Amino acid sequence: MSLRSEPLIGAARSERYAAPLGVWLDRQSVFSWLMMAPPLLFLAALVGYPFCYGIVLSLQDRPVAHPGTFVGLKNFATNFNDPIFWRVALNTFVYTVVATLLKMIGGLALALAMNQQFPLKNLVRALLLLPFIVPTVLSTVAWMWILDPAFSVLNWLLVLLGVPKPGPSWLGNPILAMLSIIVINTWRGLPFYGITLLAGLQTVPPELYEAATIDGASGWQRFRYVTLPLLQPIILIVTLFSVIFTFADFQLVYVLTHGGPQNATQLFATYAFDIAMGAGQLGLGASVALAMLPALALLIVALTIYMRRR
Amino acid sequence: MHATSRRRFLELAGLGVAATAIGRRPASAQSKQLTFLHESSFIKTFDEYFQKTLAPAYEKETGVKVNYELTSVGSLPTRVSTISETGSGADVTMMFFLLPFLFDEKLLDVSDIAEEVGKTQGGWYDSAREAATVNGKWKVIPFSNIGQLMNWRTDWFAEVGVKKFPETWEELYEVGKKLKAKDHPFGFELGHGFGDNHGWLYPLLWSYGGHEVEEDGKTVIIDSDETARAIDFARKFFRDTMLDDVLGWTDVSNNKAWYAEQISCTNNAESILWLAKRDFPEIAKVTDQAMNPAGPKGRFHIMSAISHGIFNFSPQKEEARAFLRWLTNEKQLGGWYASADTYYQPLLHGYDKAPMWDVEPRNIPYRDALANAHLVGWPAPPSRHLAESVAKYVVVDMFAKACTGTSTKEVIKNAEVQLKEIYRAV
Amino acid sequence: MVTGYGPIERLVRLWLPVGFFLVLALFPFYWMAITSLKPNAELYNRRIMPLVLHNPTLKHYIDLLTQTSFLTWTWNTMLVAIVSTVISLVLGVMLAYPLARMRFAGAGLIAMTVAAIYLVPQPLLFIPLADVINRLDLGNTLTAVILTYPTMLVPFCAWLLLGYFKTVPMELEEAARIDGASRLQTMRRIFLPLCTPGFISAGIFAFTLSQNEFLYALIFLTKSAVRTVPVGVIAELIRGDVFYWGQLMAGALLGSVPVALIYSFFVEHYVAGLTSGSVKG
Repeated sequence: MSLRSEPLIGAARSERYAAPLGVWLDRQSVFSWLMMAPPLLFLAALVGYPFCYGIVLSLQDRPVAHPGTFVGLKNFATNFNDPIFWRVALNTFVYTVVATLLKMIGGLALALAMNQQFPLKNLVRALLLLPFIVPTVLSTVAWMWILDPAFSVLNWLLVLLGVPKPGPSWLGNPILAMLSIIVINTWRGLPFYGITLLAGLQTVPPELYEAATIDGASGWQRFRYVTLPLLQPIILIVTLFSVIFTFADFQLVYVLTHGGPQNATQLFATYAFDIAMGAGQLGLGASVALAMLPALALLIVALTIYMRRR
Repeated sequence: MHATSRRRFLELAGLGVAATAIGRRPASAQSKQLTFLHESSFIKTFDEYFQKTLAPAYEKETGVKVNYELTSVGSLPTRVSTISETGSGADVTMMFFLLPFLFDEKLLDVSDIAEEVGKTQGGWYDSAREAATVNGKWKVIPFSNIGQLMNWRTDWFAEVGVKKFPETWEELYEVGKKLKAKDHPFGFELGHGFGDNHGWLYPLLWSYGGHEVEEDGKTVIIDSDETARAIDFARKFFRDTMLDDVLGWTDVSNNKAWYAEQISCTNNAESILWLAKRDFPEIAKVTDQAMNPAGPKGRFHIMSAISHGIFNFSPQKEEARAFLRWLTNEKQLGGWYASADTYYQPLLHGYDKAPMWDVEPRNIPYRDALANAHLVGWPAPPSRHLAESVAKYVVVDMFAKACTGTSTKEVIKNAEVQLKEIYRAV
Repeated sequence: MVTGYGPIERLVRLWLPVGFFLVLALFPFYWMAITSLKPNAELYNRRIMPLVLHNPTLKHYIDLLTQTSFLTWTWNTMLVAIVSTVISLVLGVMLAYPLARMRFAGAGLIAMTVAAIYLVPQPLLFIPLADVINRLDLGNTLTAVILTYPTMLVPFCAWLLLGYFKTVPMELEEAARIDGASRLQTMRRIFLPLCTPGFISAGIFAFTLSQNEFLYALIFLTKSAVRTVPVGVIAELIRGDVFYWGQLMAGALLGSVPVALIYSFFVEHYVAGLTSGSVKG
């Protein structure tokens, strides 16, 4: 919109302060780079450097309190031959994919249900967010009790319905244990999805729905052809965010099962932790942690392509 | 410019916070100070004894102030790592389990103190040597064992006609079958805890003659008939006497199950009885403790030793030595042990008849168990490879997988492959 | 939305689903609450109805507040969360403003790099970061976490603010520029004051993430006096194999209350900020 060009503005301002420096500082590139310098330096120092150092560590044999010795790709070879490593990879993928799907579908359902007027709506919305804002380790401890067959309401109900006492072992059976952590993760993340999607729903202009209804579209068709496409960017963003956090999840498993039973719930983060902090093998631990990167990148690229195509 | 000054303010605020959080570093100039790192004890009076009795006594005698730094249970390895990596933070430290071996290069050789203590206090138990020596040199002074023994419900065992705890695993199995039928199953941890799982699985393995690695620390010998027999026993033991949930148990689960009166037998340290006496007196009355059952090749227990060592980068090595010598003197040790109700079982024969054992006779089996207690991985010497196999739950999952249905042959094969990979670099 | 449903329809379309989600979301909190009020004997008793309180007691809360450093942990958590949030917002603004408003060589690259930093989750960095913190001798200080939390918060704040900034009309800034204001002055005096809602939403989110953080706190903070609530509760209310369940649940509830309160005030902004960032971004 500016009708004047940069040099003119510069000339006008030269009356106010040291012209050359002021002008130079106000050039888009200079200003931008100077402004971004502190955060970029911060990220370089505390993310970039540790990241590179992590790569170096993964190429070393580095027991805690001992100097490291370069061993090339030996740690990665060890992981390749480690059956637990592959189980961990499988677990993390399954956990991430299933939980994200559940959160997405459940969140959508919640958003649709909440997208109506009713009294105390704000209170309900705030209450629904509680699972997301409470520190995970604390709610997980509550879940430990809820999932204990002796105390679980669910088991009590199931036994009532004829399931043999004491009911399913939620944390003892490998499959049920994985199901349990998926459920808890979904419980925690669904409100976030739901409330965010709800806000997205509320930005859809009602005229579009009216137009679609006039054209004879059913409720389902309205949803599929009007709502979903408009929600797509927000679904993508939230899903991306959720995938990253779920993939790297540590707290839930650490507190609930510590990877058991028999590594059925062991994830990359907890496995790396056990190796680094438990066995003191920092190099090997770093190599397990690094394995997250290609897997994550793959997931995200796949997700982005899929969503872009729809 | 304001944005910058705002940020500077924040930086200063942050540094200010840091300064208060860091606190003052002990000045080595005036009064001599030693930092003694310890894990918070399960028994409060034990820590209080040091803080209120031992530390002041030492200061009076020598003028050296001892800072008893407590870290919460489970945080000691992290703290020791940090101190070792930065080269400062404590002079004398507590160590347990495999820590002396992971950090052996940062510990001072204290063989002279160890020999003296052994000579004057009845001699060390053999297992003590296992837990403290690296290549023949004592790197730490063993303090005590925290034993893992059988806890059993006398009232329910009596219901099936058993007055004395069974002698062998097979006998225990028979009792378990009967008790499970009466809705009082057993509960032995098969999940990813830390203490309770190793606490019965290793003794079980050893009592059938199975071992992970040879004494040479290199040869993997897990694939043997003995191991197979131990696994087959564990499978039927789980299937016929226990509740399914044990597969996902962590260390806290059996305590919880005990107080909820869900199980009739488990393995544990003295914590179940101790807490029961305080909070569940009715349950405490019918709780008893016994040594592990024996297998065809003997009776074994796990050794989980606590010890004390000196960091070799400490600027006050001589003062630290003097302190450790004083601490492990009979007068101090005896008093400190007594303050903890035998939760810490001394590894010196001199205390076999100490009066503290008379306070709670049910704890006596913990003393008797010392004679055949061994460190995980026995007979192989502890090493980083052992630490890796423990952190990866190789032995625990071998048993657990068998219990969930995988064939004995397959679980042994898997464990062997894993161990061979872990010990490949030796 | 479409209105005019009869009461039965409303039940099915609204009350049942919303009620279902509410019960699901809140049941564990109900459990936390009653567990924290049950005496130990009742807690472990399998024979009585567990969903109801029979002999409520405040003992666990009292023990929690008097026998542990819970209040210290709460103070630490709030302090760390606030300072980290402020740092992240400031750094986030510094990243987002140029990307939203300026054209310069390398803009795309920077945007991609910041997004890539997203891909580097905490567990990937904790081992080398522990080493860095040790070497800077910042172990067991709040500075350690105050420095490291923004690493996960800054990219998010930058992204959120970027989306928000793009929705702010440019006219005011352009007018200021015509009047001769420098870019810095324009940004500070004209633009940023308009963005309060964006700051609030990014700030709340950062605050939430920050007080939820566990891994770094677990590794860097081993002394009770400097611990945050998540680590303090887990590390110290679980002694070996004994869980102090009552206190744990009391701590869990008390740990959630401040954040829940803050949320209830700012939910509107939080949601608005998120949507504007993502729908238009």
